[in-house]
Amino acid sequence: MNYQTTLFLGTAITLVFIVLAVIRTKMNLKYAIVWILWGFVMLVLSSYPGIIDKLSYTIGIAIPANTVFLIFIFLLYVMCFYLFIKISTLTSEIKNLIYSVSVLKKKIEEYDEK
Amino acid sequence: MKILVIIPAFNEESNIEKLVEKVKLLDYDYLVINDCSTDNTPRLLDENKLNHLDLDNNIGLAGVTQIGFKYAVNHGYGGAIVIDGDGQHPPVYIKSLLDKVSEGYDYVVGSRFVDKSKPYTMRMIGSRILSFMIKLKTGVSVSDPTSGMRAMGGEVLKDFANNMNFIAEPDALCHVLKRKYKYTEVQVDMEERVGGVSYFVNPFRSIRFMFNVIISILLFQW
Repeated sequence: MNYQTTLFLGTAITLVFIVLAVIRTKMNLKYAIVWILWGFVMLVLSSYPGIIDKLSYTIGIAIPANTVFLIFIFLLYVMCFYLFIKISTLTSEIKNLIYSVSVLKKKIEEYDEK
Repeated sequence: MKILVIIPAFNEESNIEKLVEKVKLLDYDYLVINDCSTDNTPRLLDENKLNHLDLDNNIGLAGVTQIGFKYAVNHGYGGAIVIDGDGQHPPVYIKSLLDKVSEGYDYVVGSRFVDKSKPYTMRMIGSRILSFMIKLKTGVSVSDPTSGMRAMGGEVLKDFANNMNFIAEPDALCHVLKRKYKYTEVQVDMEERVGGVSYFVNPFRSIRFMFNVIISILLFQW
């Protein structure tokens, strides 16, 4: 097997795994779409590695592998930041919920005592 | 004006009862907020029928005080005062802080160093650094930036209830000063904590705390 077939098989299996996992865990579509789209991009890149070569040449990177690293690290960086933002929103949402629940519990206790 | 005394409590079984008794004598409404304590605190609160909220998760002091402010706003209070559940802030000073609020001040801090001079312990050097940062940012001299005993009028209360993005007291103070609220300090004496362990025993935590608060003061409070 040449290396291109291996790459293609690898990305195809990854994509199938992502799709199956998304279906099985009923992952929220808003989040799943990013991963499925990215899976397709990887599939295209592994089928036509020439794209990476051309891109490297255009932006002036000598070794195409570095272009791959650049793209992937940047993508992970952005995704990580997005997750931080999400966590921050979730924290304040949870705080509001904790407030509401505690006030409701207090009301129920007071009601029970009457 | 209705005033709420907010008492955050995390694992304070040894102090909370005595503290609330003292607050009750002053005839203000009070609210103990139990930040998911793991000791007997919730049972004590239930048995003695103390007015309290039980939180389902431990969310830390900043979150607990914000919940207190939210509660105060939603239940029609025109002002609030925060005192620690560990008995560090003697309730006898509540009245002198609230007097200042009724005089028209928006934010009153119970400071240990209005009349008295600051010692040169590690902790107080940290306090000096924070005072300097606040002076740098707002031009106002504050004598005790880390004091958790503070009273506030309706406007600051609403402000804090709706959007509170602070690490701790010093950057909250900086926010108040930046918004040009009327600020003053009242001399109080604080007790050494009776039970429990201080958060600032661990030097790494202290350094992280200082770093976070300074970043917040310099970059985020406008």
